[in-house]
Amino acid sequence: MKPRSVAPAVFVLGLLAALLPLRPAPAGDYDADAFGRLPVLEGGRVKPLDSFGRNALLMMRSKQSVPVDGRRFTASRWLLDALFKPEAADTYKTFVVDDPEVLGLLGLEPGKERYFAYWQLEPKRAELRAQAAQAEKLEAPRRSRFQTAAVNLDRRLTLYERLKNTVQIAGTDDAAVELALLGSVVPAALRAVHGGGTSERDRRAVRVLAELLSRFRFLADAAVFKAVPPRAGEPVDAWRSNGEALLKPQRTDLHPAVTAFALMGRSYRKADPAGFDAALREYQAWLEKERPAFARSAEAEVLFNRAAPFVTGMALYVIGLLLIFASWARPRAAGLPAAASGLLWAAFVVHTAGLFARVVLQGRPPVTNLYSSAVFVGWVAAFAGLLAERLHRRGFAAAGAAAVGFCTLLVAHHLTGSGDTMEMMRAVLDSNFWLATHVITITIGYGGTFLAGLLGLVWVARRHFAPRRDPADEKALSSLAYGVVCFSLLFSFIGTMLGGIWADQSWGRFWGWDPKENGALLIVLWNALILHARWAGLARERGVMVLVVLGNVVTAWSWFGVNMLGVGLHSYGFMDKAFWWLSGFAASQLLAAALGLLPPRFWTERRNA
Amino acid sequence: MATRSEPKAWVKKLGGVELTLVCLALLMALVLACTLAQVKLGTELAMNAVMRTFIIWWRPEGWSFSLPVFPGGGLVGGVMLANLLARLSYLERSRRKAGIWLVHAGLVVLFAGEFASALLQVESHMPIEEGQTRDYAESFRLMELAAVDAGDPAFDDARLIPESRLKKAKELRDASLPFTLKVHAYHDNAELTMRRPGDPPSPATAGMGTNLVFRPVAPVTVDDQANTAVALVEPVAPDDRSYGVFLLSNALGAPQGFLHEGRPWRLSLRPRRYYLPFSLTLKDFRHDLYPGTDIPKNFSSLVRLKDPASGEDRDVLIYMNTPLRHGGLTFYQASFGKEDTLSVLQVVRNPGWTLPYLACALTALGLLWHFGVMLGRAVKESRA
Repeated sequence: MKPRSVAPAVFVLGLLAALLPLRPAPAGDYDADAFGRLPVLEGGRVKPLDSFGRNALLMMRSKQSVPVDGRRFTASRWLLDALFKPEAADTYKTFVVDDPEVLGLLGLEPGKERYFAYWQLEPKRAELRAQAAQAEKLEAPRRSRFQTAAVNLDRRLTLYERLKNTVQIAGTDDAAVELALLGSVVPAALRAVHGGGTSERDRRAVRVLAELLSRFRFLADAAVFKAVPPRAGEPVDAWRSNGEALLKPQRTDLHPAVTAFALMGRSYRKADPAGFDAALREYQAWLEKERPAFARSAEAEVLFNRAAPFVTGMALYVIGLLLIFASWARPRAAGLPAAASGLLWAAFVVHTAGLFARVVLQGRPPVTNLYSSAVFVGWVAAFAGLLAERLHRRGFAAAGAAAVGFCTLLVAHHLTGSGDTMEMMRAVLDSNFWLATHVITITIGYGGTFLAGLLGLVWVARRHFAPRRDPADEKALSSLAYGVVCFSLLFSFIGTMLGGIWADQSWGRFWGWDPKENGALLIVLWNALILHARWAGLARERGVMVLVVLGNVVTAWSWFGVNMLGVGLHSYGFMDKAFWWLSGFAASQLLAAALGLLPPRFWTERRNA
Repeated sequence: MATRSEPKAWVKKLGGVELTLVCLALLMALVLACTLAQVKLGTELAMNAVMRTFIIWWRPEGWSFSLPVFPGGGLVGGVMLANLLARLSYLERSRRKAGIWLVHAGLVVLFAGEFASALLQVESHMPIEEGQTRDYAESFRLMELAAVDAGDPAFDDARLIPESRLKKAKELRDASLPFTLKVHAYHDNAELTMRRPGDPPSPATAGMGTNLVFRPVAPVTVDDQANTAVALVEPVAPDDRSYGVFLLSNALGAPQGFLHEGRPWRLSLRPRRYYLPFSLTLKDFRHDLYPGTDIPKNFSSLVRLKDPASGEDRDVLIYMNTPLRHGGLTFYQASFGKEDTLSVLQVVRNPGWTLPYLACALTALGLLWHFGVMLGRAVKESRA
């Protein structure tokens, strides 16, 4: 193949690879995929059952699927069992438990297994609840490791227990029979209540109705999501859980969603795929007629979930990075840089598509929480790196782009464990204008600072490990890094100032020395310091490169570190585990900076001496 | 290009980039220290100890005096401001440097704004229940003793004694008070409990305080906690007749009183009030949630603003990111309570609030200009 056509060909191949997850899945007995596309209301927004299931599994076992008898159950498939056949779901290894003391409490052997089924945890459930209740009296930062783990497991178990009682009470064999009973006792019970009927039958009807209503109330209290959409003409927000729909019916006839879930549950328990599909199709047809918008958005989100563009993007970035390394090792292979470039642009397009899809699905600017900030930081750094690569075609900027893209998507991937990544924005944050201006600019600043830092790392690495030192290369790297620092200073300064203006609008002060504000200010000051040191001639090529590497530590601190302090108006996401990762990252950057200060290849020279 | 005489040596030194670098590094250290100090001290105290001071003081355990250990935010900021001004005085005035000019002029304004708010900004709050009308805001921390002549119900004649005087004076005489107030004790924060049988007698001898005991504790500084201040005050008539020792606290709702020359007087310790020349009436407070969750979507207060001076009488909706600015004050939706019938508005007086806006515009414009010029040059060079 001619080198010229390598890049486009690899680009197209990369995009095709990104479409692979969308190929139709092998059809099972039940149409679990169609079931997963049903819309429900949870966490303040309408989402498909598939998203709910994936997030629930992420919270319970840090994965989006469950292995069952050597097969892999998708979230939707697992939900069928959890909702309709909990006795089966109870045997699936749904809960990850790592803490040895919690395992000890549960009477399980530590170190052997990480994943446990509900039935294994059930015998000690009451004891765990008691421990968690004890721990919940303390503020979160004061809890011991055991207490934190106990509270965490208790919450996950509670979520699962409520889930089992969301559309029907766990263990109900045929909810449709219950609904029919409701229909038959209501007229007689009404007669008895209004004093008309005094026959034994009518009084019995009242007792049956009271029993049914108490069951519905239990169901309404337990529900984790609301599966009953408002009918056409009702307010869009008027979703109800199955229990609520039965307790407070808006009309005399049963809501089609309630009937459909009862019929699906009956067919599923009776192993009747045809009956299940018939009930599902009928409900889909009703949705299509009365609430097409909900059905559309749920379908689109399922498509996004299945495509998992950020996972594909991560893989493409890392392969692209390896190709660049290969091209440095084999400078004669002309096809390698072209292939790397094609693949990285494909990765970037997939990344962009994912970002854009989130914006459309959520109706919000791209950065709304820590997760999406990671995705966006990576996107900015990748874009800036790929553009800079067009100025200096030596692979450095592209390597930086690939590495930041990969690392940030990896970080984002590990931030998904807390649940829905498209959560609703708390009141003061509910402002698309400020999310689009302040948050975006400041995040661009983070991305730029990381990209500069990566260029610094490439510089340090080449200085010590490249087969042959090339001063022109080093100079190119340093002038690239300088440009990126200017770019970062511009965005982080404007972003910080916009943040001040937002704070003035919402809290009454432009600047309050709040930890997150301070973090952003540190980045601005650091970039300003680098530029002034360079202009003053105090830092030349090496000095600037070492300073930009240290910039990684500053940025990581203000991005994640301040969230760990748990103080101030900005602390929305508190994390403990990440502390060690952050410390490790900071240590590695300090090491790299120290290496940068040492003479190039100092060890070989000493050996020769 | 305008040519100018060479600047004096000291000006050149003051405006030197070396000094800029030192200041930037010191400021970074301060910002980091301020962030870390907040874990223990809370935002406000940490800010006052590190940023809004010229020197950071440190008092080793057991010492009676403090040592200056580090320049504070005020000093570093001041030096930076001087550095900026000196630099601007001899910076080349040309098209090429126009961006740099704008950036640094903007920074001067920004620093001025921060100094202005450090010196002039006063924050208070206004808790207001639905249907209530308020014409004053309250301090978060400062207290005052109010002595009210309740004899005339139409005219609540309050004589106010600020916390600082309560702390200093043993005896308070005021021309407007027909009696003397002896201050036996004043504590910023205390634990107040009902006296149980077997407890030592209360230091109070009159009012509801006789049933209470208290234990002084360290004042809290964390932002969302309040102090329970306690004062032991004894009103004494000019003929040395005592009305008993009253235990006053902001935690006690009802005022306590005594009769002096046939007129009922009420004493209370309450958050310091800042009276306004206008009034706000809370008509409706709303606390909207996202459907099916407890996640707040919006808080808003519909208030009636009445200002006799300007003749204004209108409804204003105060909600997230949309404060009311009136009479040099800004009212923000800050908090709520009492099952969503009480709204708390944050009240800020900051005469310099527009400065940061100007500074941002100048600096952002300058940065865009300068880096735009540089980028243009770099692209041209790489094409060449």
